Amino acid sequence: MSKDIQVSTSQKGDIIVISIKGDVTATTGEVIGNAYKSDEVSNSHKILLQFDKDCYINSGGLASLIDIAAAGRKKEQKIHAYGLSDHFQKIFRMVGLTRCIPIFSSAEDAMVDF
Amino acid sequence: MEQLVELQLPNILGAEKEAIKKAVTIAEKMGFSSDRIEDLKTALAEACINAFEHGNKFDQNKKVRVTLEADDSSLQVIVHDEGDGIDPEKIPKKRVRDDGFPCRRGYGVFLISNLVNEFYFENHPGKGNNVKMLMHLNG
Repeated sequence: MSKDIQVSTSQKGDIIVISIKGDVTATTGEVIGNAYKSDEVSNSHKILLQFDKDCYINSGGLASLIDIAAAGRKKEQKIHAYGLSDHFQKIFRMVGLTRCIPIFSSAEDAMVDF
Repeated sequence: MEQLVELQLPNILGAEKEAIKKAVTIAEKMGFSSDRIEDLKTALAEACINAFEHGNKFDQNKKVRVTLEADDSSLQVIVHDEGDGIDPEKIPKKRVRDDGFPCRRGYGVFLISNLVNEFYFENHPGKGNNVKMLMHLNG
Protein backbone atom coordinates (compact mmCIF):
# COMPACT_ATOMS: atom_id res chain seq x y z
CA MET A 1 0.00 0.00 0.00
CA SER A 2 1.15 3.55 -0.69
CA LYS A 3 2.62 5.22 2.37
CA ASP A 4 0.57 8.32 1.59
CA ILE A 5 -2.81 6.66 2.04
CA GLN A 6 -4.47 4.11 4.29
CA VAL A 7 -7.60 2.39 3.01
CA SER A 8 -9.56 -0.31 4.82
CA THR A 9 -12.98 -1.88 4.39
CA SER A 10 -15.49 -3.07 6.96
CA GLN A 11 -19.12 -4.11 6.97
CA LYS A 12 -22.04 -2.69 8.93
CA GLY A 13 -25.13 -4.74 8.15
CA ASP A 14 -25.56 -4.63 4.39
CA ILE A 15 -23.35 -1.53 4.06
CA ILE A 16 -19.70 -1.71 3.10
CA VAL A 17 -17.61 1.06 4.63
CA ILE A 18 -14.40 2.10 2.85
CA SER A 19 -12.30 4.12 5.30
CA ILE A 20 -9.83 6.52 3.69
CA LYS A 21 -7.02 8.32 5.50
CA GLY A 22 -4.25 10.35 3.87
CA ASP A 23 -3.75 11.82 0.40
CA VAL A 24 -6.27 11.08 -2.34
CA THR A 25 -4.33 11.78 -5.54
CA ALA A 26 -3.82 10.32 -9.02
CA THR A 27 -1.08 8.13 -7.53
CA THR A 28 -2.95 6.85 -4.47
CA GLY A 29 -6.36 6.71 -6.13
CA GLU A 30 -5.46 3.24 -7.35
CA VAL A 31 -5.45 2.01 -3.73
CA ILE A 32 -9.04 3.18 -3.27
CA GLY A 33 -9.91 1.73 -6.69
CA ASN A 34 -8.51 -1.64 -5.66
CA ALA A 35 -10.53 -1.62 -2.44
CA TYR A 36 -13.62 -0.78 -4.47
CA LYS A 37 -12.93 -3.67 -6.87
CA SER A 38 -12.68 -6.26 -4.08
CA ASP A 39 -15.42 -8.90 -4.07
CA GLU A 40 -17.09 -7.72 -0.87
CA VAL A 41 -17.43 -4.17 -2.19
CA SER A 42 -18.34 -5.18 -5.74
CA ASN A 43 -21.23 -7.30 -4.47
CA SER A 44 -22.67 -4.66 -2.19
CA HIS A 45 -25.36 -2.19 -3.21
CA LYS A 46 -24.60 0.24 -0.41
CA ILE A 47 -21.14 1.75 -0.06
CA LEU A 48 -20.07 4.38 2.42
CA LEU A 49 -16.85 6.30 1.84
CA GLN A 50 -15.61 7.35 5.26
CA PHE A 51 -13.00 10.09 4.85
CA ASP A 52 -10.67 11.12 7.62
CA LYS A 53 -11.14 14.83 8.37
CA ASP A 54 -7.50 15.50 7.46
CA CYS A 55 -7.73 13.86 4.03
CA TYR A 56 -6.13 15.86 1.22
CA ILE A 57 -7.75 15.49 -2.20
CA ASN A 58 -6.46 16.93 -5.46
CA SER A 59 -7.85 16.86 -9.00
CA GLY A 60 -6.18 13.49 -9.70
CA GLY A 61 -7.90 12.10 -6.61
CA LEU A 62 -11.22 13.56 -7.73
CA ALA A 63 -10.79 11.69 -11.02
CA SER A 64 -10.33 8.42 -9.11
CA LEU A 65 -13.49 9.09 -7.09
CA ILE A 66 -15.41 9.93 -10.27
CA ASP A 67 -14.27 6.56 -11.69
CA ILE A 68 -15.72 4.81 -8.62
CA ALA A 69 -18.95 6.79 -8.89
CA ALA A 70 -19.22 5.86 -12.59
CA ALA A 71 -18.60 2.17 -11.89
CA GLY A 72 -21.09 2.28 -9.02
CA ARG A 73 -23.74 3.75 -11.23
CA LYS A 74 -23.31 0.94 -13.76
CA LYS A 75 -23.79 -1.60 -10.95
CA GLU A 76 -26.72 0.35 -9.49
CA GLN A 77 -24.83 0.86 -6.25
CA LYS A 78 -25.54 3.74 -3.91
CA ILE A 79 -22.39 5.50 -2.74
CA HIS A 80 -22.46 7.97 0.14
CA ALA A 81 -19.66 9.92 1.79
CA TYR A 82 -18.99 11.54 5.14
CA GLY A 83 -16.10 12.87 7.18
CA LEU A 84 -14.78 15.35 4.60
CA SER A 85 -13.53 18.70 5.86
CA ASP A 86 -15.65 21.76 5.01
CA HIS A 87 -13.14 22.67 2.31
CA PHE A 88 -13.34 19.36 0.49
CA GLN A 89 -17.13 19.29 0.86
CA LYS A 90 -17.02 22.61 -1.04
CA ILE A 91 -14.71 21.11 -3.67
CA PHE A 92 -17.03 18.10 -4.11
CA ARG A 93 -19.97 20.48 -4.67
CA MET A 94 -17.92 22.68 -7.02
CA VAL A 95 -17.06 19.84 -9.39
CA GLY A 96 -20.50 18.27 -9.21
CA LEU A 97 -19.38 15.10 -7.44
CA THR A 98 -22.19 15.44 -4.85
CA ARG A 99 -24.65 14.63 -7.64
CA CYS A 100 -23.36 11.05 -7.65
CA ILE A 101 -21.77 10.77 -4.19
CA PRO A 102 -23.93 12.70 -1.71
CA ILE A 103 -22.18 13.98 1.42
CA PHE A 104 -23.57 13.54 4.92
CA SER A 105 -22.64 15.17 8.19
CA SER A 106 -22.41 11.89 10.12
CA ALA A 107 -22.01 8.17 9.49
CA GLU A 108 -25.46 7.61 11.01
CA ASP A 109 -27.14 10.06 8.61
CA ALA A 110 -25.28 8.54 5.68
CA MET A 111 -26.36 5.01 6.61
CA VAL A 112 -29.98 5.85 7.39
CA ASP A 113 -30.38 7.52 4.01
CA PHE A 114 -29.42 4.43 1.94
CA MET B 1 4.51 43.04 5.80
CA GLU B 2 6.61 42.41 2.72
CA GLN B 3 8.15 39.08 1.92
CA LEU B 4 9.47 37.37 -1.19
CA VAL B 5 10.23 33.66 -1.29
CA GLU B 6 11.35 31.62 -4.28
CA LEU B 7 11.36 27.84 -4.34
CA GLN B 8 12.54 25.43 -7.00
CA LEU B 9 10.72 22.12 -7.11
CA PRO B 10 11.78 18.87 -8.78
CA ASN B 11 9.38 17.83 -11.51
CA ILE B 12 7.61 15.08 -9.58
CA LEU B 13 4.09 14.76 -8.23
CA GLY B 14 4.16 15.40 -4.49
CA ALA B 15 6.90 18.02 -4.67
CA GLU B 16 4.18 20.68 -4.48
CA LYS B 17 3.85 19.97 -0.74
CA GLU B 18 7.02 21.91 0.02
CA ALA B 19 5.59 25.00 -1.68
CA ILE B 20 2.23 24.57 0.04
CA LYS B 21 3.92 24.39 3.44
CA LYS B 22 5.78 27.63 2.81
CA ALA B 23 2.70 29.38 1.39
CA VAL B 24 0.65 28.38 4.44
CA THR B 25 3.28 29.81 6.80
CA ILE B 26 3.22 33.13 4.95
CA ALA B 27 -0.58 33.24 4.65
CA GLU B 28 -1.01 32.54 8.36
CA LYS B 29 1.44 35.30 9.23
CA MET B 30 -0.49 37.68 6.95
CA GLY B 31 -3.75 36.90 8.76
CA PHE B 32 -5.66 34.92 6.12
CA SER B 33 -8.59 32.92 7.54
CA SER B 34 -8.30 29.13 7.70
CA ASP B 35 -10.94 28.77 4.94
CA ARG B 36 -8.92 30.95 2.57
CA ILE B 37 -5.72 29.13 3.44
CA GLU B 38 -7.42 25.88 2.42
CA ASP B 39 -8.40 27.57 -0.88
CA LEU B 40 -4.78 28.68 -1.35
CA LYS B 41 -3.48 25.17 -0.67
CA THR B 42 -5.73 23.62 -3.31
CA ALA B 43 -5.09 26.36 -5.89
CA LEU B 44 -1.31 26.14 -5.45
CA ALA B 45 -1.37 22.33 -5.55
CA GLU B 46 -3.36 22.33 -8.81
CA ALA B 47 -1.08 24.95 -10.41
CA CYS B 48 2.00 22.88 -9.50
CA ILE B 49 0.44 19.62 -10.71
CA ASN B 50 -0.46 21.28 -14.03
CA ALA B 51 3.12 22.57 -14.29
CA PHE B 52 4.59 19.09 -13.67
CA GLU B 53 2.18 17.32 -15.99
CA HIS B 54 1.12 19.68 -18.76
CA GLY B 55 3.93 22.25 -18.64
CA ASN B 56 7.05 20.17 -18.10
CA LYS B 57 5.39 16.92 -19.22
CA PHE B 58 6.99 15.07 -16.31
CA ASP B 59 10.47 15.74 -17.73
CA GLN B 60 12.79 15.10 -14.76
CA ASN B 61 15.35 17.50 -16.24
CA LYS B 62 12.95 20.41 -15.92
CA LYS B 63 12.04 22.32 -12.78
CA VAL B 64 9.03 24.18 -11.47
CA ARG B 65 9.68 27.48 -9.74
CA VAL B 66 7.23 28.90 -7.21
CA THR B 67 7.40 32.55 -6.17
CA LEU B 68 5.46 33.77 -3.15
CA GLU B 69 5.26 37.53 -2.77
CA ALA B 70 3.43 39.04 0.17
CA ASP B 71 2.56 42.65 0.93
CA ASP B 72 0.15 44.23 3.40
CA SER B 73 -2.94 43.50 1.33
CA SER B 74 -2.32 40.45 -0.85
CA LEU B 75 -0.36 37.33 -1.55
CA GLN B 76 0.82 36.76 -5.11
CA VAL B 77 1.80 33.24 -6.12
CA ILE B 78 3.55 32.54 -9.42
CA VAL B 79 4.09 28.97 -10.62
CA HIS B 80 6.59 28.83 -13.46
CA ASP B 81 7.27 25.82 -15.66
CA GLU B 82 9.73 25.30 -18.50
CA GLY B 83 7.19 24.06 -21.02
CA ASP B 84 5.90 25.52 -24.25
CA GLY B 85 3.04 27.41 -22.66
CA ILE B 86 -0.66 26.88 -22.78
CA ASP B 87 -3.37 28.30 -24.97
CA PRO B 88 -6.14 29.18 -22.51
CA GLU B 89 -8.66 28.65 -25.28
CA LYS B 90 -7.66 24.99 -25.48
CA ILE B 91 -8.33 24.25 -21.83
CA PRO B 92 -11.36 21.96 -21.62
CA LYS B 93 -14.32 23.91 -20.31
CA LYS B 94 -16.80 21.08 -20.25
CA ARG B 95 -17.07 19.60 -16.78
CA VAL B 96 -20.39 17.80 -17.02
CA ARG B 97 -21.07 15.01 -19.49
CA ASP B 98 -24.26 14.96 -21.53
CA ASP B 99 -25.77 12.49 -19.06
CA GLY B 100 -25.19 14.90 -16.16
CA PHE B 101 -22.23 12.99 -14.75
CA PRO B 102 -19.06 14.97 -13.93
CA CYS B 103 -16.22 14.67 -16.47
CA ARG B 104 -13.20 12.73 -15.25
CA ARG B 105 -10.47 15.34 -15.72
CA GLY B 106 -9.95 19.04 -16.33
CA TYR B 107 -10.62 20.43 -12.85
CA GLY B 108 -7.23 22.00 -12.12
CA VAL B 109 -7.77 25.36 -13.82
CA PHE B 110 -11.44 25.35 -12.88
CA LEU B 111 -10.59 24.99 -9.20
CA ILE B 112 -7.84 27.61 -9.32
CA SER B 113 -10.13 30.14 -10.99
CA ASN B 114 -12.79 29.58 -8.35
CA LEU B 115 -10.53 29.65 -5.31
CA VAL B 116 -8.32 32.72 -5.82
CA ASN B 117 -9.25 36.38 -6.39
CA GLU B 118 -7.28 36.81 -9.62
CA PHE B 119 -5.68 34.35 -11.97
CA TYR B 120 -3.69 34.75 -15.19
CA PHE B 121 -1.60 32.75 -17.63
CA GLU B 122 1.59 34.35 -18.92
CA ASN B 123 3.29 32.67 -21.87
CA HIS B 124 6.91 33.48 -22.65
CA PRO B 125 7.75 31.57 -25.84
CA GLY B 126 10.95 29.61 -25.33
CA LYS B 127 11.14 30.67 -21.69
CA GLY B 128 8.27 28.79 -20.16
CA ASN B 129 4.89 29.54 -18.75
CA ASN B 130 3.65 31.34 -15.63
CA VAL B 131 0.44 30.84 -13.74
CA LYS B 132 -0.07 33.93 -11.62
CA MET B 133 -2.54 33.85 -8.73
CA LEU B 134 -3.49 36.67 -6.42
CA MET B 135 -5.27 36.36 -3.10
CA HIS B 136 -6.43 39.56 -1.42
CA LEU B 137 -6.43 39.63 2.36
CA ASN B 138 -9.84 41.32 2.39
CA GLY B 139 -11.21 39.84 -0.80
